[in-house]
Amino acid sequence: MYRWLDHTSEMELAIEEESPEAIFREAAVALGGLLSEGPFGDPVQTEVSVAASDLPGLLVEWLNELVYLAESEGLIPERVVGIDLGDIRVDAVVACRRSEPQNLIKGVTYHRLEMGPAGGGWRARVILDV
Amino acid sequence: MDLRRIDDQLWEIPASARADMRVPARVFADREMLDAISDDLSLEQLQNVATLPGIVNAAIAMPDIHQGYGFPVGGLAAFDTAEGVVSPGGVGYDINCGVRLLALPLEAEDLGERSEQLVHEISRSVPAGTHREGALRLRGAKLDRVLQEGPRALLDNGVGLGEDIERTESEGRLDGADPEKVSDRAHERGSGQLGTLGSGNHFLELQRVERVFDERAAASFGLRRGQLTVLIHSGSRGLGHQVCTDYVRRMDRSLERYGIRLPDRQLACAPLSSPGGADYLGAMAAAANFAWANRHTIAHRVRESIGAVLGGAAAKGTRQVYDVAHNVAKTEHYGGRALCVHRKGATRAFPPGSPDIPAEYRETGQPVFIPGSMGTGSYVLAGREGSVERSFGTVCHGAGRLLSRTGARKRIQGAELRRQLESQGITVRCPSNRGLAEEAPFAYKDVDRVVEVVERAGLAGRVARLRPMGVVKG
Repeated sequence: MYRWLDHTSEMELAIEEESPEAIFREAAVALGGLLSEGPFGDPVQTEVSVAASDLPGLLVEWLNELVYLAESEGLIPERVVGIDLGDIRVDAVVACRRSEPQNLIKGVTYHRLEMGPAGGGWRARVILDV
Repeated sequence: MDLRRIDDQLWEIPASARADMRVPARVFADREMLDAISDDLSLEQLQNVATLPGIVNAAIAMPDIHQGYGFPVGGLAAFDTAEGVVSPGGVGYDINCGVRLLALPLEAEDLGERSEQLVHEISRSVPAGTHREGALRLRGAKLDRVLQEGPRALLDNGVGLGEDIERTESEGRLDGADPEKVSDRAHERGSGQLGTLGSGNHFLELQRVERVFDERAAASFGLRRGQLTVLIHSGSRGLGHQVCTDYVRRMDRSLERYGIRLPDRQLACAPLSSPGGADYLGAMAAAANFAWANRHTIAHRVRESIGAVLGGAAAKGTRQVYDVAHNVAKTEHYGGRALCVHRKGATRAFPPGSPDIPAEYRETGQPVFIPGSMGTGSYVLAGREGSVERSFGTVCHGAGRLLSRTGARKRIQGAELRRQLESQGITVRCPSNRGLAEEAPFAYKDVDRVVEVVERAGLAGRVARLRPMGVVKG
């Protein structure tokens, strides 16, 4: 489950899920909701592969790639169809809808970045520059 | 927190407050502002900046300081070019986000009912939000020429005027720009975005000069009471965002190589003298030049709109007052020392006599523009000597946010805000009610008080106050 936390100038995303894969899935859904509320065009599936030096950094790269796809190709992530997640690499198929993003994201930051096990599940926090 | 009063406008957290701080953290604010500032994490972020290698004198914040990421917004820091670092996160994703002011040869009362028509025409000709129709599309060598030369590269295409460039900070071009250090992805994101506003807090305002505080300075800037002005706030768009993303990632991975330990990963940095540092400076300069070309193109479209609604003489007589950057890192000299000054939501404000400002303003000081909010007003200031003595030639960049975006949306809906603004005679063109609500005037600090602190601190003097008549937002 995700929620947006109060941040004076940016958007802070908090996610709690049962696994790291579920964190990545939920992050894509949250981002899609922020980028556009529709109207949406045709459904499209796209492959996304990114790498980083650690798992929290991988979450940043994952979101950065989805931001890029939204801005450059008008692909708004709707859900993750398949995901193969390692410690420093993720390969996924993302179901998207075509739409002009209504809100632009400038960048996904490392500031107060969290991604790790917590309370028997997994927790992540990431701040987006909007 | 150990916060000590230096004088009525300056407060300091000593370097001894944390074991990792190399210099003190200083904030320009009055007592009441300081209480509001202490409500979020901005002072902790300022202390984090004070830990960076090679920082000189202090990590400094302006009265519009608020929580950002890495550096606080409204923060600045200067680094020794031999021993210091450059931090892409310290400049931010919107490289050379900045403000440009145009002065029309007309007074507000001359406009009459054409005010709404002019705002509408501007909103048609300047793409806002995610829209790109009407953007100047440049690829390959033509885009690279803009990255190297800034707006001067557009003059051959009939975009803008040479005198606009003379009245632009750094004449719209940072030395050392290197398009080869800008990734293919950044090139791609920027290729269709010249002349576009973007979203978030970017805007374009039609205004009138409501009050003049300093007649001599106002006359020097070509401003008089009642005059129409247009304020443009935008930056380097997707190109700059991608440059920051690319280099934060690269520097995050090279920290260990340089033995740099940080309290916040977003402060990722590299020595100014390192290949990584040099590459970022080349890419950042290119993005900064792109941003100046972006505002230059927007100003050209505004002149076209003025011509369409008010006639060719009004368009021809529309004069650029100046253009200032507020997210950038630049090499400047203080006390005979070359320093790399990072400004993150902070504006250069050089005093009278500075050789780095246009000759026509040299007796007055550099023009500085401080947007307030779409319902209140904005200020024109002139840089003063105190800025060099106390803040590396810097003042604030706006009123500063007080409320989060979600907090603003909880207090008002976009449609209601639109109605309130229009009842005050402010025409609004913004396709997103959500985006409009997030920028509600009450989400910002009181710009009058922010500017008063800056003036009392001797950093800049008030020249004029501008009142909004129409707002175009993404």
